[in-house]
Amino acid sequence: MVTRINIGPVHPSTHGVLRLVADVDGDTVVNLEPHIGFLHRGVEKLVETRMYMQNPPYMEKLDYIAPMSYDDAYVATVEKAMGVEVKERAMWVRTVLLELQRIASHLLWLGTMANDVGQFFTVFMWAFTDRDMVMRLLEEASGARMFYVNMRIGGLIRDLPPGFGEKAGEVLAYIEKRIKKYENFLEKDPLFTERMKGIGVLSRERAIELGVTGPVLRGSGVGYDVRKNNAYYVYDKLNFRPQTRSDGDCFARYKVRMLEMAESIRLVREALAKMPEGDALGMPIKLILPSAKNRMVSLSRETPRGECLMYMVADSQKPYRLSIRAPTFINLAAMPEISRGCRTADIFAISGSLDLVMGDVDR
Amino acid sequence: MPITSIVSGYLHLSGTLATAADTIAYAVAISILIVAFDYVFGWLERKTIAKIQKRHGPTYAGKYGILQNMADFVKLLSKEHVAPKRADGLLFLSTIPIMLALTIFLVFLLPLAPTLLETNLGFGLLVVFVLLSFMPLIIFANGFGSGNKFAAISAQRSVVMLLSYEIPLIFVIASVGALAGSYNLASVVNAQSQWWFALLMPIGFVVFFVAMLAELERPPFDIREADNELIAGWLTDVSAPYYVLALFLDYSRMFLGSLLIAILFFGGWSGPLLPPVVWLLIKVFVISFFIMVIRATMVRMRIDRLLRFGWTWLLPLSLINLILTYLVFIG
Repeated sequence: MVTRINIGPVHPSTHGVLRLVADVDGDTVVNLEPHIGFLHRGVEKLVETRMYMQNPPYMEKLDYIAPMSYDDAYVATVEKAMGVEVKERAMWVRTVLLELQRIASHLLWLGTMANDVGQFFTVFMWAFTDRDMVMRLLEEASGARMFYVNMRIGGLIRDLPPGFGEKAGEVLAYIEKRIKKYENFLEKDPLFTERMKGIGVLSRERAIELGVTGPVLRGSGVGYDVRKNNAYYVYDKLNFRPQTRSDGDCFARYKVRMLEMAESIRLVREALAKMPEGDALGMPIKLILPSAKNRMVSLSRETPRGECLMYMVADSQKPYRLSIRAPTFINLAAMPEISRGCRTADIFAISGSLDLVMGDVDR
Repeated sequence: MPITSIVSGYLHLSGTLATAADTIAYAVAISILIVAFDYVFGWLERKTIAKIQKRHGPTYAGKYGILQNMADFVKLLSKEHVAPKRADGLLFLSTIPIMLALTIFLVFLLPLAPTLLETNLGFGLLVVFVLLSFMPLIIFANGFGSGNKFAAISAQRSVVMLLSYEIPLIFVIASVGALAGSYNLASVVNAQSQWWFALLMPIGFVVFFVAMLAELERPPFDIREADNELIAGWLTDVSAPYYVLALFLDYSRMFLGSLLIAILFFGGWSGPLLPPVVWLLIKVFVISFFIMVIRATMVRMRIDRLLRFGWTWLLPLSLINLILTYLVFIG
């Protein structure tokens, strides 16, 4: 007998306001349908009524786990529309900040993921504490703890504070040790690996067809990463490679993110070492000229959750239209397919492994 | 004057009346003991898990947050009790009090000290486990009667869990009985005066411990009330005063489980210097603490995996344990 159960929008592990309508036959999921829109704020419309540099705060609230990456994606789009070159040092600083943001975002994901498979908050609290150290670094660089609004046209609101490199080095060394500890703690637990391996398998072909991006795509064995394939800022001057796993299951996605964190740490270290001296300050907000050189621009960025593509039709002072390809929205679309036939308890492991942020899905 | 007849001695009673008065006094004492344990452990679990997770735990209410649980109880008691419309009133409301009463009654049957043998049944061990195996069925009734789909899934899981660990549990109890030469709980304790049964049959102890974790709904076997999946399982629709009872029930069952492990495998009240009851309580505390730490570190098992685990590991191991016990100590 097929029973329909309604999971969410108020449920301990639907990460905000995701509603899943699951048809289960006994303990097996026959069909699963995500219902979205509970957090729809109409940001794409909202930005049309505001000046260019009034919008970054709205952009940041889309993906509240990794606000810096959206801040950067939007400001870079505006820069492209206005034809402004980013200052050399600012590009390096932005790379450092974006990679730090990626570490912070993945740490939060790790905690919630462990929670979703039934780890009673221990890894969550540990990862949360560690994430706070990275956030303190970002706070030092930008002045805000969570919503940074740090980017300005052509640069940043301020340069990195003195002594940032040493502090970042200390924190990164600590995080590196902690990541090893988490891997040890989780992967040596047979119950954890059992809950993750072979669950929610997304094949290479289907991953490409469904258009998933980010760690979900790389977990299915496709080595596509915007930072590499369509390099922006200084990623082409840094030595790194996208991490892939070929299994396509929850464990592969978990592993890709863990490796990505280690890779990000290496990236930050390298960027801090190679960073040139100079000026990183951007244009003050009030000095933006009422002119956009390019009428239509599109730009893609690798956010911690996948490829974010911004398509903007520019007006002189405001965006005429802004369309956002939200990575988690596309990744969520893969969920019904990969959770068909799994056990009820696996729904949460799968939704955890997709790293959903509902603010980003609903926009 | 023995400690169990203080009340009748004080009231100068005799005959049936004396027995009744003593029994009631003992039952009240046991209830107070359980409530005290529930309270202290409810606080200790919060603090310990907070320490493991790098948090502080409760700090504001009272010294070290000792009054936090009291504050929570008062808050819950002051809330409105809402029974869902689709719930079967009688089933939904009566099951949690029945379970709590059953738990207290089971502790009442257990020997806490050589002088505290209010009910020294010749087949006490069997009675305890027969009554204990009713628990999942009562949970099933509650979950099924609450008219909530999550609770219904939890109810079905309860029965599946029963299938996976109950038979190995019975086999281990059989070997305990064989080793002690009796199903009397006091004899089981006395048989361990030299060697604890945990040392004589380690396999049996491990099987029993794992099965007890499942019986007590403690992680990694808290499948019935898996909060990430089923919100709160069979407790999803339980509100205010009944939720207080459910919390008490949770810790009372932990007390009962630790007590059973202490009595059957760690020599019950036996120990030097300190009074027997104190020894027993120390053992119960250590075992409960261990169960608590497991909660903070393990990942929850999946229900189908538990069934497989029960039939491919626990059952053969318990059989091997039974045969080994017979061959080594009896045959």
